Amino acid sequence: MLFSWDYLLNGFVTAFSLQNLLWAFIGCMIGTLIGVLPGIGPSSGIAILLPLTAVLPPTSAIIMMAAIYYGAMYGGSTTAILVNIPGEASSVPTAMDGYEMAKQGRAGPALGIAAISSFVAGTLGIVGLTFFAPALANFALAFGPPEYFSLMFMGLTLIISLSGRALLKGIVSMAIGLLASLIGQNPLTGAARLTFGSVELMAGINFISVIIGLFAIAEIMVDVEEEVKAINMTEVRDVFPTWADIKQCVGAMLRSTGIGFFMGLLPGCAPSVTTFVAYDVEKRLSKHPERFGKGAIEGVAAPEGANNATSSAGFVPLFSFGLPTAPSMAVLLGGLMMYGLQPGPMLFKENPHFVWAVIASMYIGNVMCLVLNLPLVGMWARIAVIPFPVLGPIIVVCSLIGTYSIRFLAFDVWVAIIFGVIGYFMRKLGYPIAPMVLATVLAQMLETSLQQSLLISQGSPLVFITRPISAVFIGLAILSLVRGVWKQMKSHAPEIAEEDES
Amino acid sequence: MWHEGRCLVVGAFSTSLEDSLKTQRSGDITGGCFLVFLGLVTLFAASKITGGLEERLPPRTLPYAVGVIILICGALLAIRSWRFHGIDPVIKWPDRRGTIRVLITLASLGVYLALMDPLGLPLSTFLYVSFTVWYLGKYRLWYPLLIGVLSGGISYLVFIYLLELSFPVGPFLTR
Repeated sequence: MLFSWDYLLNGFVTAFSLQNLLWAFIGCMIGTLIGVLPGIGPSSGIAILLPLTAVLPPTSAIIMMAAIYYGAMYGGSTTAILVNIPGEASSVPTAMDGYEMAKQGRAGPALGIAAISSFVAGTLGIVGLTFFAPALANFALAFGPPEYFSLMFMGLTLIISLSGRALLKGIVSMAIGLLASLIGQNPLTGAARLTFGSVELMAGINFISVIIGLFAIAEIMVDVEEEVKAINMTEVRDVFPTWADIKQCVGAMLRSTGIGFFMGLLPGCAPSVTTFVAYDVEKRLSKHPERFGKGAIEGVAAPEGANNATSSAGFVPLFSFGLPTAPSMAVLLGGLMMYGLQPGPMLFKENPHFVWAVIASMYIGNVMCLVLNLPLVGMWARIAVIPFPVLGPIIVVCSLIGTYSIRFLAFDVWVAIIFGVIGYFMRKLGYPIAPMVLATVLAQMLETSLQQSLLISQGSPLVFITRPISAVFIGLAILSLVRGVWKQMKSHAPEIAEEDES
Repeated sequence: MWHEGRCLVVGAFSTSLEDSLKTQRSGDITGGCFLVFLGLVTLFAASKITGGLEERLPPRTLPYAVGVIILICGALLAIRSWRFHGIDPVIKWPDRRGTIRVLITLASLGVYLALMDPLGLPLSTFLYVSFTVWYLGKYRLWYPLLIGVLSGGISYLVFIYLLELSFPVGPFLTR
C-alpha cells in the first residue's frame, strides 16, 4: 500500500464533494439506527442495503457502506446504556457499566463518553490505517491457526474477570454458550452434532438469537414481572459528561484504541471480541476494579473505543489483501467486487483515487457520527422514561424482526425466546450472562483454528507452545486462569454474579 | 379422591420446587444437580455423534469436553453450596400476579410468532403490540390500537415495502 500526501489530499477533495458528503451522512444515520436496533447488526444492514446502492457510483456506494459499518458502532451503545439491551454483541461490555450509570441518573454522560471515545478511537484508527498499513498488514500475516486458537483461548479466560465472585457459575455459563454453538454441523467435516435428527437444529444456533434472548427478552420478562412504569425511572441528572469524566477516561480511550486496532487487524477478531478484551484490561489496570460493573465510566469508554478502533483496523487487511476480518467486512468485500474492484495490493496501484477517497471519507464520517450522536444525547437519554407498556412491546418487535432477518427462519426467533427464559433464570439464580455471550462468539473460530492447528502439526498439541506468539498467549491464559481459581478458592462467599448484587 | 390426590401431588411438587429455589444456597444446590443431569445428557448425545472419527479432532471431542465441564462444575457447585452455611440471601421470585404476567407475555410472544406466517408481519405485529400495550398498561382501547396500527404500518413500510425483505406479507397485503 503506497502512501502519498497527494493521494490523501485528492481523496479529501473527492470525499468533500456534495454527493459523497450526502451519502456519508445517510450512511452514518442508517448505521447509527442499525446499531440502536437490537438484532440488526452492521453486516445485516450492509447486506440489506447493498442492492439499493447499485444505482450509485462505486466510490459513493462504498463510502456509504463504510459509514453504515462504523455508524453502527456508535449506535450499538445507545440501547445498551439506556435499557440494558445491547444493539449487538460488541456492545455487551458497554451495557455492564453503561446501564448502571443510567440507573444512577447518568445516562447522558454515559452516552456522551461513548460517542467521544468512539470518535477518538475511530479517528486514531484511521490514522493508523493511513500511515502504517503496510507494516501492520505484515503483522497480521504472522498469525496462523495456532496463534488464533491461543488468542481465542486467552479470550475465553476473560470469563474470570466477567464472572466476578461467581467463577464456577461463569464457567458453567461459558460451557453452555459453547454447547449451544456446537449444535449443528461441524465446520470442517460437516458431521451433524447434537441435532437429535432435527432439520432446524442442523442449521445451528446463531449467536445473535442467543444475545437477543439473553438480553432483550430476559430484560423484558424481568420488567414485566416487576410491573415497572418505565425501564429506567431515574431522573436524568446530567446530559453531558464533565471535563473530569473525560479526563478520567483519556487513558481508557487510548489503551482501548491500541487494543482494538491491533486485534482488529487479525481476521476473526471482530469488535465483539476486542470489546471484551479492552474492558478486561481496563478493569485489571484500574486502581479500583471493584467499581467495574457498578457504573465505572471507564467501563463504557474502553469497549466503545475498542469497537471503533477495530472497525477502522478491519480495512487494513481488507484493502491490502482482500481478507475480511469480520462478517461485515465480508459483505463490504462483496460490495467491492460487485463494482469490479478487486481488493489487494493491485487495488492501490490501479484505483488509488477510490481507496484514498474512502479513507478520507472515514475521517469525515467519524466527525459526522460524533455530531449526530452528541447533541442527541439528551433525546436518547429520555427514551428510557417512555412508559414501559409502550416501549417494551416495541423493543420486543424490533428484536424479533432483527432476529428473524438473520436467516429468515422462525427457528431463530424461537431460539431467542428460549434463551430469554434461560436468561431470566440465570438472572434470578445469579449466573453471569457475559461469559455465555463471549463463548458463543468465540466458539466457531476456536474449534476451526484448533482443527487446522492439529492438521498442520499432524496431531501434535505442542504446536501451541513451540510457536512463540502462541506460547505467549497460552502462558497468559493459564496465568489468568490459575490466579482466578486461586482467588475463588480463598473466597468463601456464595456465588453470585456481580451484575445481580444490586 | 383422585382429583384431591392429584392436587396434593401437584401442591407437594410445587412446594418442594419453591423450597428448592427459595434461597441462593438451595437454588445453587438445585442448579448444580440440574447441571450434572445436563452434563450427562450432553455426554450421551455426544456419544451418538458419528462420522469423522479419523480426523485429528473428531466431531465428538468438543461436545465431550463441554459435557465433562458442565458435569464437574455442576457437581462442584452443588457440593460447595451444600457445605456453605453463611448468609443465604433469598431469591426474589415473582408473586402469583407477576408470574401470570410473565407467562402471558411469553405466551403472547409465541402466538405472535405462530401468527406471523399465516397473517403476515404487519397484521401479526398490530395484534401483538395492541394486545401487549393494553394488557401491560391497562389503557383505554383506542390507545393500544393506535400504537398497534402505527407499529404494523411502520413494519410494513420499512421492512416489506422499502427494503423488500422476505418477511411474510399475509393474505390481505401485497409487496
